[in-house]
Amino acid sequence: MATSESRILRGVAASPGIAVGKVYILELEELHIKEKSLAPEEIKPELARFKAALATTREEIEEVKNTIRQELGNEQAKVFDAHLQILDDVVAVEETVRLIRQEGKNAEFAYRRTLSKIAEEFDALEEEHFRNTAADVRDVKRRVIRHLLGKPRRSLGDIPGQVVLVAHDLTPSEAAFLTQDSILGIATDSGGRTSHAAIMARSRGIPAVVGLKYATLHMKPGDTLAVDGNRGLVEVHPDDHALEDYTRRQRKFLELEGALLDIRELPAVTLDGRQIELSANIEMPEEAELALRKGARGVGLFRTEFFYMRSARLPSEDEQYEAYKKVAELVYPYPVIIRTVDVGGDKFASYLGTERENNPFLGWRGIRFSLERTEIFKIQLRAIFRAAAAGNVKLMFPMVSSLDELRQANAICREVKDELRDKRVPYGENCEVGIMAETPAAVFIADLLAEEADFFSIGTNDLIQYTLAVDRGNEKIAHLYEPLHPAILRAIKTLVETGHKHDIWVGVCGEMCGDPAGAVILLGLGLDEFSTSPYLLPEIKTIVRSVTYAEAKELSERALCLSTAADVRRFVEEKLASKFPQITLP
Amino acid sequence: MVERTVRIVNDPGLHLRSASSFVKTAARFKSDVWVMKDGIEVNGKSILGVISLVAEYGSSITIRAKGDDEEQAIASLATLVENRFYERE
Repeated sequence: MATSESRILRGVAASPGIAVGKVYILELEELHIKEKSLAPEEIKPELARFKAALATTREEIEEVKNTIRQELGNEQAKVFDAHLQILDDVVAVEETVRLIRQEGKNAEFAYRRTLSKIAEEFDALEEEHFRNTAADVRDVKRRVIRHLLGKPRRSLGDIPGQVVLVAHDLTPSEAAFLTQDSILGIATDSGGRTSHAAIMARSRGIPAVVGLKYATLHMKPGDTLAVDGNRGLVEVHPDDHALEDYTRRQRKFLELEGALLDIRELPAVTLDGRQIELSANIEMPEEAELALRKGARGVGLFRTEFFYMRSARLPSEDEQYEAYKKVAELVYPYPVIIRTVDVGGDKFASYLGTERENNPFLGWRGIRFSLERTEIFKIQLRAIFRAAAAGNVKLMFPMVSSLDELRQANAICREVKDELRDKRVPYGENCEVGIMAETPAAVFIADLLAEEADFFSIGTNDLIQYTLAVDRGNEKIAHLYEPLHPAILRAIKTLVETGHKHDIWVGVCGEMCGDPAGAVILLGLGLDEFSTSPYLLPEIKTIVRSVTYAEAKELSERALCLSTAADVRRFVEEKLASKFPQITLP
Repeated sequence: MVERTVRIVNDPGLHLRSASSFVKTAARFKSDVWVMKDGIEVNGKSILGVISLVAEYGSSITIRAKGDDEEQAIASLATLVENRFYERE
């Protein structure tokens, strides 16, 4: 079908930007299923096998959900909540059980028949948002069947080099693991602007065209393909002239995007000269580069759960060391703050012994886990201290709620460093060690902690959750999760004042500093460092650069005198709206 | 048995994410929950059932609940729908 003649295919512009590269075709995974008729005595074990596959799949989806939540936030992770519900859907499960029990069918066959039928009903719908459900149903179906067949999970992480990904469609789980690192652009046969592939591509900044219908038919691996995500078309085998045109427009697009980044090289300094360290939160080593491109001066929070959650085994010391070192070298001379692993809570892995608890956020997580599993903790600390020899590395502990915990953790650090010295392994002796200030207890004993920590980094997400006793994942009360609540402002003020009194720096690494109103208040409260999602940095820097510290300080002082969160928000937003009409407030 | 008819006020309607919130809320109650639209009734605790109603923005659905906590169930579900499922954006 494919010839070397150029051919233009039109689809739906799903994610802006232009990419040119070699085609990599993601084939639909073949899952061969045989229909079997079971003997009566085989039925009970078959039902048990089906239930077991549902349980394993549930764990797998939870894992994906947690990864996505950390990386892209709660909203994106909700898709996987829905997948869990599809998995447990009473109609689907009951029909499958009926086919096994009454018709004596094998589980694979019964489940496939049930879910395919449901998916086809959704296929027939006209409204795109509703029709998209078919892809979710099929995604869940494939997961369960894969487990029933004992097939390993397929991952997009294995794609070699940089390619343009061409596929019939991407399942939500495949789309979740797209990275700019290996995927230059995306072209799919099906899908619309609101399909998972489109949403993920946009949030990762990968140009994409979807709904091309026959893209997979017209291309073969290795073909040159241009993806024009602005105009919604792709061109196979573009000639030299067209190639030049695509390249020129790609450059133009990046320039335009760069206009917002013009201030990238400029420091985050207020009109009256107060400088803020503006850094980025990252989860995977690869994201450090993106952070720098968006103007980060360092990494303010390097989450490390990724290493522990991506596969069912402990990450080795060398594997961690290489990753930490890579980031440290990349951002040098700016700092990278590595947070020791925060499993537990909503991130559990059976191989670590952490499990679903009744009250997970008050449970065995963060430093509590590390202090009990010291063998795992020491491996990570060794990797961090070794990486500290290669760059400006700091480390911090999550979930500290008492001085004992900090002392124990510090003692283990000392032990690990002594060991490294004895073995003559290079390490960073002066690596700063701080804490994530995220529990109300840490606020109340800030003076004691400040004596023995090198810095505080305020994790606003958890600090708000614990201080206001609000689980923002709970829809009934999500509206009570209010960063500008007077209790939060007072807690932050205490942390900053206490930290500064003890000559340590105080930063913030939660979502609060990525919100314009939050950023101005935090600036006024005297924070030294902000760390947030790389994508938010240009806007936050613009804000910091267009106010004076004096006025931000006055604003936060007046906000601290207000009695309710609504009053604070109204007051701050009014002030901001008159100053930054171009910024849209949420 | 109690029932209440509510209008869908979120765009694009009772699709994947909002249906997910709906089912999650319904599951918190012991009562049986059904949702009806255009003469079709589905189990209110089945996400696939709820989405299949294609309750778009502007349409109306009737929620029924039967059981010990039917009053609370219907009140919570109606509030959820009326408040656009507390979706952001």
